[in-house]
Formats: sequence, structure tokens, C-alpha cells
Amino acid sequence: MSVAKPYESAKSLSGWRLRLFIANYGVYIALLALLLAATVLTPRLYDVNTIAVVMRQATQLGIVAIGQTMILLVAGLDLSIGGIFIMTSIVVADVTNGRDELVIPAILIALALGALVGLGNGLLVTKRRVPPFVATLGMLVLVKGATQAYTKGVPGGFVPDILGIVNQSWYVISIPLLLWLGLNAFFIFVLRRTAYGRKVYAVGSNTEAARLSGISVDTIRISVYVLGSCLAVVSGVVLTGYVGYVDRFIGTGLELDSIAAAIVGGTAFVGGRGGLLGTIAGVLLIQILGTMAVLMGLDIQVQFIIKGLVILGAVTLYSLANVEE
Amino acid sequence: MLRKLFYALFILSLLLGTSLVSIGQDDGMMEFEITQEMIDASPYLQSVLSRLDEVYDTSEFAKDPPYRIALAAQGTSNAWSALFDAHAYWYVEELGEDVVSELLYGDAQASADVQVPQVEDLLAQEPDALILVPMGAAALSAPVERAMMQGVPVVLCASAVETDNFVTEVGTNLFNIGAMLAQWLIEAVGEDGDFVMMTGIPGVTTSVIMEEGALAVFDSYGIELLDNQPGMWSPAEGKKIMETWLAQHGDAIDGIWTGGAQQAQGIISAYEDAEMAIPPIAGGEQQNGFLRSALEHGFDFLAWMYPNAMITLCLDAAVQILQGEPTPRFIDFINDMPEARPFTHAEAEDYYEPSWSDDVHGPITMSDEALAELGFLIEESG
Repeated sequence: MSVAKPYESAKSLSGWRLRLFIANYGVYIALLALLLAATVLTPRLYDVNTIAVVMRQATQLGIVAIGQTMILLVAGLDLSIGGIFIMTSIVVADVTNGRDELVIPAILIALALGALVGLGNGLLVTKRRVPPFVATLGMLVLVKGATQAYTKGVPGGFVPDILGIVNQSWYVISIPLLLWLGLNAFFIFVLRRTAYGRKVYAVGSNTEAARLSGISVDTIRISVYVLGSCLAVVSGVVLTGYVGYVDRFIGTGLELDSIAAAIVGGTAFVGGRGGLLGTIAGVLLIQILGTMAVLMGLDIQVQFIIKGLVILGAVTLYSLANVEE
Repeated sequence: MLRKLFYALFILSLLLGTSLVSIGQDDGMMEFEITQEMIDASPYLQSVLSRLDEVYDTSEFAKDPPYRIALAAQGTSNAWSALFDAHAYWYVEELGEDVVSELLYGDAQASADVQVPQVEDLLAQEPDALILVPMGAAALSAPVERAMMQGVPVVLCASAVETDNFVTEVGTNLFNIGAMLAQWLIEAVGEDGDFVMMTGIPGVTTSVIMEEGALAVFDSYGIELLDNQPGMWSPAEGKKIMETWLAQHGDAIDGIWTGGAQQAQGIISAYEDAEMAIPPIAGGEQQNGFLRSALEHGFDFLAWMYPNAMITLCLDAAVQILQGEPTPRFIDFINDMPEARPFTHAEAEDYYEPSWSDDVHGPITMSDEALAELGFLIEESG
């Protein structure tokens, strides 16, 4: 039997504290470092107009990242949200055909369809034991195929003018920003202060332990998938108003960006660890990086490389800082 | 004799059209010259120019009708390709079953990865000819070579590949288009202007070649662009980029070069939100939504046309090849579809069609009934 020497214990303790610090605050430090770098590289970032642009664009990713974070917390994953964006855009334009008075029914229909997609994901993952990657990828293809079959490849209709309200801002404050902050506040409260939130973390941390302690694991998982899909619909409505046009490629890439934002923000891919504050920082980090790249006139290829490096860097840091080990 | 005279005149017109581009404008004619330096720097331009005076002897492909023609199309991806497909089916009916008995169709969903195996599948059905809308110049080169080796004549439609081993290409000189748009912008704004450039999807041949042409002209004037970013032919991406540019440069942007009308709608939307005057835009198209916005806001623009109806010329070329008639190796649609010429804001009202939906790309050769069936006509709402 070996006994740790006192200085070795101290060293190990300080290493553990460092890892804990990185795990808890890594994304905020990275965000702060980026903002400091921007003062030299792209001072224009601090212009009110630029901040307004960053915040407005961040909300589209931010809203969907809330759902993605919650799904990751139960050790899931959702790729189908890419299809939900397109479906939402088509439903809003098709149902309203530009008429403001039909916006609410259109959104309700989109929410119902989104919930159906989430329910399908949840049932596949829980009842059929299909891995989340496969289940949601299949659902993505199904939803995209269904929208193509419905539109024959040509989305029609008009986006109602009233949705243009998402483009109005007062300094940096806009309706999508308030919506994003409100949804974050609500779901942070849910995750931290309610029994449902504790169950979400419990299911992600240790499914068997959660099951043995009486939690209905499948119900929690399915509900989180449904919530994630509904939040994707909300983000899709914001995005549709932002573009003001039915675009078959609307929201392309946001499904992967939302996963990246959550992971960079410290949510574990294996579930049970992380939270929405980190995701907010992750969303801002990705959005500010993108805006800085354009402000610096970097080629798109360089932008992809930088984004990839940030994600890989974050994942590497978190794996080093894995406090459980 | 008459045929030889026709080809001589045809080749002469192509040579003149390629070396010196002119655009009719309300304020006169505008010209730019393709220099040897530009040709040396562009493999695409070298390929197009070398094929201008070539005619393919197609006697080896001659056979009796009716023909089975394979169409490897862009597929269900946007309104342009939907109308392209609709024109294809409509024109096959027009030609009649005694000319084209079957149209074998492949839907690439705008992806080279999907299209490469799809071409193999189409070739396995032993068509008499292959019409290909290449989704990637490099990726589709090998399938084109294989088709020719198999004895299936290939007609490239609307885009190019890297090999020269095909019978003919129907399209237009995209380098010239990119250059022409840049030239118009410089003349509209002045050489001292500050310009931004929004290209299409990086790596897609059409976008890359247009960018090459535009940059050659900007370079020839010693103009340094404020920025050059891809708008991915998407209104959403176009708007995001334009918003950032507006935050960065404000009203210092004097002119915008864009590689397509869809992202131009994003550009216009960003200006609307910022409540700023829209500067001249080079790169609109006869896309109804773009024209509607242009008429609402009254900004100056130059639009070009890439008619989805060019598939009718591709089908004509395929039939011509199978009848063993000598075929020019480059067929510029502008010579056969004079209505598909560039136009400016001065003619916007002539090209805007209120009964069409925003995503219709003109010119359209089909009837209104056919358009209505496809859902491209606006229904009167209660």
C-alpha cells in the first residue's frame, strides 16, 4: 500500500482545483480573452451598431441552443432541428401567405408539428433504444423529405410583414434578444429550482440510479426532446422574420452550431453536467468569433478553421479538466 | 453551303461576343476588354475560348430516333432548378415521343456527392445521350470521361467540368458575366468608389468563375475591395454578412457586387432594417422578388440572366448530336435566347411580373397554366 506524501497531496489538490476552475469558468475566460483581443484586432466590435448585429444574430442560435443543451444534459443529441427550421419557415409562409392575422395559427401549427417531431425523436431513443445520433439524423432526413414532397422543392407563400418586428431594435435591445433572455431565465429557473430540472440532471448523470430512485427516465427524455423541438420552432419563426423570405436552406448549420455552443459552454456530451449560463457564453463566443472574422476580412475557409479550433480546444480543455477523474 | 455559312457566322459572333462585351444601357454602351493576362490566369476562360471555334463531328453517335436521354439535373433544391426541370419535361413533350421516347431523370439535390453515383446509375440504363448539370467541376470530370468512353455523348448544361472530353457545353461565358457586372459597378460609382463583393458558394464552379472575372476587372483598375465574403446564395447568410458590413463601414459602401439575386434579397433586407439608402448593386437577376424590391426602393442595379429555360437548348443539342449533325462545342444561350440579355434598373418594370411569385427566375417559355400548376402564380387572397 502506498501513502501519498504531503507535498504530493497538495500538488494533486491544486491540480484538482485548477481542473475544477477550468471546468466551471473556462468558457467565460475564453470569452473575456476574445473580447480583450477584439479591442486590438477589431475595435469596431464595440460600436453600438455592431453589438446590435451580434446580439440579433446570436439570438437565432441562442434560442435553439437552449433546447440542445437540455437534450445534451440527458445524454441525447438532436440533429433534426435543421429540418424543423425549414418546416417552420414553410408553414408560416404557407399558412399565412403574407396575412398578419394568421401568424398565431401558423405558429401554433408549426409548434404542434415540431412537438410531433420531438415526440418521434424521444420515442425512438427511449422505446426503441435507437442511438440519438441515428434517430435524429433519420428524423432530419424524414422532415426535409416531407417538406420537399409538400413543396415539390419550391417553398411558396409570403412571410407576413408583422414578423419583420424581429428586425427592429432600440440600441442593442431587440425583441428576439428579450425573448432569448426570457427563455434562458425561465429554463435556468426550471433546471436549477424545480424537481423537473433535478430529474433532467439525474437522468443524464446516471440513468440507472435515476430509474432506481423512481424517476420516469423515459418521460423525462421524451419531454426534453419535445421541448427542444418546440424551441427550434421558436427559433425558426425568429429566423423566418429575420430573412423575410421562404428559404429552403434557412438555418443550415445551426443544428451543429447549437451543439458546438453547448459543448464549448461546458455541457458534457455524455450528459449530466453543464448548464444554460455556459451555453449563453458559448453562443456569444461563436457569434463574436464569426463577426470578428468578417470584420477582419478573413476568408471563409479561415473562419471554418478558427471555429473548428475553438471547438476542439474547448473539448480538449474540458477533457483535461474532467473532475470526475 | 448554307450550313457552313451559318456556322461561320455563329463562330464569328461568339468570338466577337467573348472578346468584347457590350451592355445596352439607357446612358449608352459599356465595354471592357478581356486581356491576355486574364486569359492566362483562368483555365476556364482558356477552355471556353479554345472551344469557340471548334465543331464536334458527331457522326459516331448518329442513330435513328426516338431517343432515350438521361438528364442529371441539379434537382429539388430551389425555384431555379424546379423551373429548369419543368421546362425539361415540357420541352420533351413538345418534341414528341417520336423524337424523345424517354427522359431518364437524376435529382442531385444540388450536391456533387449525390450526383457522382447518380450519373453512374443513369449510365447503367444505357441512355443515348447524357445531359449533365455539373454540381462540381472536379468531382464530375471522371463520370463525364466514363460516359464518353462508354459511347454516350455528353452535353454539359449550365456549368462546366475540368475535362475537355465532352461534346458540347450550353451556358454562357461566366467569366465575362462576372467581369461585366464589376465593370458596370465601377462605371456606375466611379473608380474611387469603395466596393464590397458577395460571392455564392465557395468551390461551386459558377460562383468561382464569376468571382474570377469580377476580380480581374477590379484588379485592372487597381481597386482594393473593402471585403469579399460568400453569401452562400442564401438570403439569410447574405443578410448576416451585409449587416456586419453596414456596422463596419456604414454608408462608406458605394457599390455591391453580388453573385446572385437570392443573397441580394438579404442585402436589401439589411439596408431596409438599417434604414439606409441602397447603393448600386451589380448582380441581380430576373428574379421576381429581387425586381419587386428594386422597384420598391428604386436603387440602381445591373441584372444578368441565367435562364432555366436553357435546358431546351441542351435537349436540342442532344438531339442534334444523335442525328449526327456537327455541333459547336460551346453554345452560348444568349445567341438563341436574345431575351436573356442583361438589363438595368431602367427596365425593371418591363421584367417584373406581378402575377409571379417572388422566387420565379425568368425568362419563362412555358404557359401561365403550367406555371400555375407548379405553384408559381400568386393566388388572389380573399
